[in-house]
Amino acid sequence: MKKVLLVGDGARENALAEALGSSEEGYVVYSLSSYRNPGINEVVGKTGGRYFIGDINSVEEVRRVIKEVNPDFGVIGPEDPLFHGIADEFRKEGIPVVGPNSEGAMIEKSKVWMRELMWKYSIPGRLRFKYFNTIEEAAKFILEYGGSVAVKPAEQVGGKGVKVVADIQAYLSDEKRRAITTSVGSIANLVKGDVKILIEEKVDGPEYTLHVLTDGKSYLPLPLAQDNKNAYEDGIGPETGGMGAISGPGYLLPFIDQEEFTRSYEIVKITAEAIEREVKQSYIGILSGQMMLTSIWGPTIIEYYARFGDPEASAIIPRIKSDFGKILELLATGHLSRAKVEVDERPSVVKAIAPLGYPLDKNKASNHRIWLDLPKIREMGCKVYFGSVALEGNSLLTKGSRAVEIVAIEDDYGRAVEKVDKCFSLISSDTKLLFRHDIGRTIDQQIEKAQIVRYSYKRREARGILGISADWSPNGGLW
Amino acid sequence: MTGILGVYAFDKVWNVSKFLYYGLIGLQHRGYSYSGISTLGDRGFSKASASLPPEDLPLPDMKGWSGIAYTGYDKVYPYVTEEGALVIDGVIKADIGEFSRELYRDPERAIGEAEGVFSLIFLSKDGVMVGYRDELGIKPLEIGGFGFDLAILSSEASGIAVVGGELKREIEPGEMVYIDTYSISYKRLKDSRPHKYCSIDILYQSRIDSHVFNLDIYDIRVKVGEQLYEEKKVDGDVVIGVPDTAIPYAIGYSRRSGIPFSLGFTRTGSTIRTMLASDDFIKVIGVQLKLNPIKSAVRGKRVILIDDSMVTGRTLKNTVFSLRSLGAKEVHVLIASPKIVARCPYGIPIPDERELIASNLPDKEILKIIDADSIYWLSLEGLFKAIGHNYLCTGCMTKSFPKRWW
Repeated sequence: MKKVLLVGDGARENALAEALGSSEEGYVVYSLSSYRNPGINEVVGKTGGRYFIGDINSVEEVRRVIKEVNPDFGVIGPEDPLFHGIADEFRKEGIPVVGPNSEGAMIEKSKVWMRELMWKYSIPGRLRFKYFNTIEEAAKFILEYGGSVAVKPAEQVGGKGVKVVADIQAYLSDEKRRAITTSVGSIANLVKGDVKILIEEKVDGPEYTLHVLTDGKSYLPLPLAQDNKNAYEDGIGPETGGMGAISGPGYLLPFIDQEEFTRSYEIVKITAEAIEREVKQSYIGILSGQMMLTSIWGPTIIEYYARFGDPEASAIIPRIKSDFGKILELLATGHLSRAKVEVDERPSVVKAIAPLGYPLDKNKASNHRIWLDLPKIREMGCKVYFGSVALEGNSLLTKGSRAVEIVAIEDDYGRAVEKVDKCFSLISSDTKLLFRHDIGRTIDQQIEKAQIVRYSYKRREARGILGISADWSPNGGLW
Repeated sequence: MTGILGVYAFDKVWNVSKFLYYGLIGLQHRGYSYSGISTLGDRGFSKASASLPPEDLPLPDMKGWSGIAYTGYDKVYPYVTEEGALVIDGVIKADIGEFSRELYRDPERAIGEAEGVFSLIFLSKDGVMVGYRDELGIKPLEIGGFGFDLAILSSEASGIAVVGGELKREIEPGEMVYIDTYSISYKRLKDSRPHKYCSIDILYQSRIDSHVFNLDIYDIRVKVGEQLYEEKKVDGDVVIGVPDTAIPYAIGYSRRSGIPFSLGFTRTGSTIRTMLASDDFIKVIGVQLKLNPIKSAVRGKRVILIDDSMVTGRTLKNTVFSLRSLGAKEVHVLIASPKIVARCPYGIPIPDERELIASNLPDKEILKIIDADSIYWLSLEGLFKAIGHNYLCTGCMTKSFPKRWW
């Protein structure tokens, strides 16, 4: 029997573990996580594998576990192990793995690297950008171009909040300046490299994610999903990894059409090819475009993930009717061309449940007990994936981030949302739980938002100026 | 008439005072004879207020990561104590100091027990913001967001949009919203159906770019204009609306009738609202300040003049007079609301019955006073038809009030 080693510990890895554990290939699932995730633990137990607890970012640790398990292939869930060269280590040991080497993972780690790549290879959906080494330079540029800019850290900083300072009327410039200085200051402290601050032209429109599987030779797109980043009800409040996602029907979303899907796929695909040319290594894993439908380009890249998004994974993987565990093995071993993806036409809704305090105060959100009536939830037809929650003795303890994700797949969004919300009522805790009721209920607003930008980018396209934009200021000149 | 606003930052690095200041200007069409702002910072509450519209309020040098604001006529607000700051749109049968203390102790109970018709925003010294929309839906309240940084409560979306925020939704009638650093939660405190949206807010008070009471205000007003034509077909050469509120009515009437729409007036100074102005001097002078007729648009023409409402009739008399003095051949007056015949017990400053022309005089007499060639008011059924339902408070038109709180 084939053995697979899964690295990671969140709800995304729970969904991956489930796909591997239920494969017809009968994989024995081994896991390396930083705590005992009850969902992954269940799969590991059922398949007769073993659960290793340790540092998922440590090359030595991973090497030790690989030696002990001697897996047939590996799957790496989160981005941090990729940045730390964990995929490189698998390959050094001769083990095929889902996940790019650290050089390929630069596409996620460094936004400057990503933007430069897109411009160098003239990839559609690229935004104008500038980067700065000091706060002063960045601030000067921002004040020069009072128009719309988005300020971002140049490097991935472990999910720390990124403040996009929206463009507001000129008379608010004073307030804006103060807010930027503070956010720039807090970002700069988190970034180690020389390039600290990335400034991009700001765009608006509905967001969506496209995941593409690749073994460096062939490409397989997965159905679209949409993540929801604000922590609190109605899409208000601080940035999180994502409080919920929707996917479907079919490969699309109700507000993204087939042509836009095709273009998005092209963009991600040629980016994967460009990475390969740039780092002279195959990109083997998942490349996911965090995209936005904008008036400048239509499908536009906001950032790239070198792995599955979480909670997008929980919305997409359960909709795949073919043997997804097997597909992961084909990907790792370079036989993706043999894989076929069959998708449940019906849409899915996933919502995350997080303890009060998330995402601003990790201590406040940690070490709370959480109870769920798992048999009842499953009986109602919802799936549960465990995230930042540890099995300690017989109780579940929160670890400070999104604890549980609930998924429902139904004939329409209305029914799926209702089911998820009902299942949520079967979860309780000794603290207040964050849960967004609005996710999955704003489809009409998304459709309207998409239609508005569609008028503009179609007009640009008709006039042959798709993707062309500029800013000018008397002192700074043309940008 | 009142606009209320609350701005809440999830990170205390923000200073929201200018968001409040500019957001409040976005609400000043709701009433402006008095305005004020209160912010919460490290050293408790600060407050700035004056008997001036928000745009003339001396730009306060205030700091605070959260705050509330008021524009209207009641000098009590923002009501600030050590424990909290409060703004109310509407009327409440309670001692405001006692109510504020109760809100601090237990907002759910305080609102649950309070008698009246009100929407409110309360900010406690501990950094909790509570919003509530009256259970009949007479008063509006909406919620929006600004990036990952702010939550904004506002009577209308214009208070959110002006500072670059995004409207998320209307607070439901009877719903309380509770905002602190770590969460936003909602709770339905009272359920009173059918809802009774304020007709005057829809026809007159709300800004034409607003989406409130589940309605796009501009579209509704154009429809009311179309409905007016269905009810009263006047043979004329030009349709003119009294700026700014009545312009969409005139557009609707023109569209349906095929009679050209024209701008009959231009404005001097800012948008002084004559219906809101409190003393007679302003009422008389007000119309001249507000409207200067454009001669070439009306000379030798049979003018169909549309206004949003008629309270005392004095404004309209002046308007008709100036149209005639510039050479209008005929002036036919259409009023885009049913007759206003009663005082509003819920805080819209409509004068007493004895001051309302429509409750004192028959049409024939009014026509004589206004000196128009004909006059017509939108029917109540026409109002329901244009809006698409009758979940409306029409107390000032019918003397039938949805709630007796006094």
